[in-house]
Amino acid sequence: MLSALIWLPVLGAALVGFWPGLSASRARFLALAVASSLLVWTVVLFSQFDISNPAIQFSELFPWIETLGLNYHLGVDGLSLPLLALAGILTWIAIYSSNESVERPRLYYALILSVNAGIVGGFLAQNLLLFILFYELELIPFYLLIAIWGGTPQRGYAAMKFLIYTAVSGILILAAFLGLAWLSGSSTFDYKAIITAGLPLTTQLILLTMLLVGFGIKIPLVPLHTWLPDAYVEASPPVAILLGGILAKLGTYGLVRFGLGLFPETWALVAPGLAIIGAISAVYGALTAIAQKDIKRMVAYSSIGHMGYVLLGAAAATEISLIGAVAQMVAHGLILAILFHLVGVIETKVGTRELDVLNGLMSPVRGLPLTSALLVLGGMASAGIPGMAGFVAEILVLQGSYSVFPLPTLVCVVCTGLTAVYFVILLNRTCFGKLDNNTAYYPKVKLPEEIPALVLAVVIFFLGLQPTWLVRWSESTVAAMVATVQIDNEQQVAAVEAPAIER
Amino acid sequence: MVHFLLQTIWLVPCYALLGAILSIAWVPGITRRTGPRPAAYVNLLMTLLAFLHGLVALFASWNQPPQELLIPWLTVANLDLSFPVEISSVTIAATVLVTGINLLAQTYAIGYMEMDWGWARFYALLALFEAGMCGLVLCNSLFFSYIILEILTLGTYLLVGLWFSQPLVVTGARDAFLTKRVGDLLLLMGVLALYPLAGTWNFTELAQWATTNSVDPKIMTLVGLALVAGPMGKCAQFPLHLWLDEAMEGPIPSTILRNSVVVATGAWVLVKLEPVLALSPVVMATIVYIGAVTAVGATLIAIAQIDAKRALSYSVSAYMGLVFIAVGTGHSDAALLLVLTHAVGSSLLVMSIGAIVWNNITQDLTQMGGLWSHRPISGLAFLVGGAGLLAFPPLGSFWALLKLADSLWDTRPWLVGVLLVVNALTAFSLTRVFCLIFGNQAKQMTERSPEVHWPMILPMMVLLGFTLHLPLVLQSLSLLPDWDRVYKDVGLLLTWSTIFGCSIASIIYLGRMVSKPVQLFWKPLQDFFAYDFYSAEIYRITIVFGVGLVSNVIALIDRYLVDGLVNFVGLASIFSGESLKYSTSGQSQFYAFTILCGVGLLGMMLGWPFLSHLSFNLFP
Repeated sequence: MLSALIWLPVLGAALVGFWPGLSASRARFLALAVASSLLVWTVVLFSQFDISNPAIQFSELFPWIETLGLNYHLGVDGLSLPLLALAGILTWIAIYSSNESVERPRLYYALILSVNAGIVGGFLAQNLLLFILFYELELIPFYLLIAIWGGTPQRGYAAMKFLIYTAVSGILILAAFLGLAWLSGSSTFDYKAIITAGLPLTTQLILLTMLLVGFGIKIPLVPLHTWLPDAYVEASPPVAILLGGILAKLGTYGLVRFGLGLFPETWALVAPGLAIIGAISAVYGALTAIAQKDIKRMVAYSSIGHMGYVLLGAAAATEISLIGAVAQMVAHGLILAILFHLVGVIETKVGTRELDVLNGLMSPVRGLPLTSALLVLGGMASAGIPGMAGFVAEILVLQGSYSVFPLPTLVCVVCTGLTAVYFVILLNRTCFGKLDNNTAYYPKVKLPEEIPALVLAVVIFFLGLQPTWLVRWSESTVAAMVATVQIDNEQQVAAVEAPAIER
Repeated sequence: MVHFLLQTIWLVPCYALLGAILSIAWVPGITRRTGPRPAAYVNLLMTLLAFLHGLVALFASWNQPPQELLIPWLTVANLDLSFPVEISSVTIAATVLVTGINLLAQTYAIGYMEMDWGWARFYALLALFEAGMCGLVLCNSLFFSYIILEILTLGTYLLVGLWFSQPLVVTGARDAFLTKRVGDLLLLMGVLALYPLAGTWNFTELAQWATTNSVDPKIMTLVGLALVAGPMGKCAQFPLHLWLDEAMEGPIPSTILRNSVVVATGAWVLVKLEPVLALSPVVMATIVYIGAVTAVGATLIAIAQIDAKRALSYSVSAYMGLVFIAVGTGHSDAALLLVLTHAVGSSLLVMSIGAIVWNNITQDLTQMGGLWSHRPISGLAFLVGGAGLLAFPPLGSFWALLKLADSLWDTRPWLVGVLLVVNALTAFSLTRVFCLIFGNQAKQMTERSPEVHWPMILPMMVLLGFTLHLPLVLQSLSLLPDWDRVYKDVGLLLTWSTIFGCSIASIIYLGRMVSKPVQLFWKPLQDFFAYDFYSAEIYRITIVFGVGLVSNVIALIDRYLVDGLVNFVGLASIFSGESLKYSTSGQSQFYAFTILCGVGLLGMMLGWPFLSHLSFNLFP
């Protein structure tokens, strides 16, 4: 059942890449067909999923290299299921929104499908080594996607930076996993088999720190983030959607799954620091975004800020905050995707991303009214206006974290205000204002170009108005996860009670 | 049937929401074929439905105990977020007021926006506001109130920014959004902090909790101050008042709503929160002071404005300041009565001004004059609206102000003084506006000025009639203060303050004793009021500048320090590799030398314990 999610895109990639004499439009059609069937398969998976069961479901286990402790062990639980859906939707969107006359179409679509396979594999892997395999697997396709189809001549630099950063992240995580398995005397790398409880505290701390830095690069957290603006900005919009929408989620997912999941005892020790880093990331991302002059870069920095909330929610590790963190991963993926897509549309139609040049796109006759309307919606969703998915996630994170880390939580509330500031700047400059009569001969935006944004807008609204559909999947898994850290949390609350007064 | 309508009162905001969705369907593509008007008609129909539904339900709810209806929204872990609908005569009356004023404003807009093409957007946003406000008054939960306030903040941004191609509109929309958002986020902090303390967001339960709790007063003060910030932003109180003035760049039909009921959303939440806020005397005192300062300050500013709309908008801030005083002193019923009478009077004033602005092209008071003979209906509407707003017996606000002043007389007489001053100054301000527009000789801009067409006159007349009948309505609902029990001197004082303000203004602005244009004795003081205490400037050089500076500095740090470090590591490794490659020169002497150095170094390291021992002997 789960293998299909990995092997179908691999098969699709192989077909698109190696089928002799495949035309560009056929390649696109084939890739879309694979993505659509993945989406359908994910929906089937959702319908079969038992939300009251906190454990791994649909488990698949084949012994592979047992001497190494490497097994082909897949499974899904409430933590990974929403992310699977996110990956399915965004891959479909990315393929659909790709330019139809993209260069080297067969390689392009094959790479996108293999990226999907790698990321989904990462979400499904229940064996640490298998996770690392998938984690490293998507690196090369991404490198190529940025380096070949990127925007400006800077793309080579951006791609290399991304590659080096992420490779370092992979090495750190691999080292941590190896240390974890060997020191705890486990004969296998299976997630379930590894128990850190027996390890001395210092060892645990060192291993956890390595993991945190490794995943922190991927998420990314300040100050490990500098690959992000370059990579997101240089990548073409569909690739940026994949990068920001789902690849970064591999980092946050790893943080919760392996950081919190494998070190429930040590988590409480690092949590205050993590919460502070989360708050700093949020402030840093928001403030840097305010100063940007390029709308794509602005959106890229907003992503750093929003990852701060995920970190805060994960650090607090209360049931509500953790559910909020998972919801935030999904919401952020959707909102980032709609923003990148619209920025891409504006760039192709207007020919610039400069804030100082753009103006008056809301104009109903010669502007891009629908695109602008959707951009307003996306920006406001990102700023956490209620009624849309982002708000639900943020309010859960904030409410859940407040009792544990009041101060970082309040800082994050301030950050939602700063988010509003830069989105108002963005919207005021691009959508509002007077259209320049001399330059405003923009090509019309055709309906198919708007469809990805419309689909995403509907999903964002639906999840915002019916948030149960966003949170119900992860509830029981998170409850079980939190139960393991609960004891520490209570101490935490007691310790933090005092600063609660000085808000 | 009637009972059914009462139970389904939650449909009222849904009608409006449906209207919004139907209106927005007239996207530019369809508008090009049908014209923009159908968007308004569907919306009007929906508003009418909501109004009638509310009206019938109001009669059904009379003398019935309040009921509560729970609409589940989200349950996660131990957090149960259901939307509690409070069905009581007060809440239903509030929806009737909201939908009624909306109905009038939307009819008015058909006339006012005649030449505009953005009807779909405009009506959708009006309907969004209607839905939001009806939802707000019906919901009995702080959390959902926050949600609705936040959505309305977005609505304000889009509504003020309707004519987005004008630069002033764009900045006005921006400032309205950000100022309100600041208030909202502080409110959110309060909302987040209150839940762990009280364990509920339901207003009724919060009030119960407030009677039996023992929270540290320090915490309660901080939470209370955060909670007050939200209403402060909505009610345009100092120092978050700036947006209301800039929001006047939006179309007038939306101003009718904004000046009457939208600002009142903040007051409503404040009234609902009163039991919680009353836990901290500091918070209550703060509310009173903010209200008093705003009430006096904003009326003074209003007198110095030369823009007709802005002169009215500052009076709105001032009246909301009076509402703050009422809540801060614990007189919530007087506050609600004042909100009601203010809403009616204020919207009539805006309608009248709108009718003047519409065909005189200008809203600059100094360009107008002598319109009374051409525009008797608009003039009459202004007079009645003003009388309804001031303490002018027997119209509505007289009773509201009397109720408030009467209850303050024994406890805090100085606040009665504030009330009298504000009333006198508002009377002065409104009379001034009236005299400048309708009095004196006609000027160039006002020479040809026929009365406007019926879609604008009709709602104006309906509202005029309602304003005149409001005291009767209030009496039949027994909402008027008991005449036998009030201090009649207070009523007399209020009346005199109105007469005083009106007559002074008429003498100055109609008489020939003072040279025109009227100047204050000291120009800087006049400018100080005319430019709104320079608060826009103050914000620009403090907060806006500060945030801009910090963000630029951080962006520079990001670019050159954090990223620079990374690039430096990259460059350094390339450089060292590049320079090391010259060491492979092929000369055996060089290799031998390198090996010798290496061996020597290694020998030093290995022999270090011995060597250090040696040196120890050499230098005892």
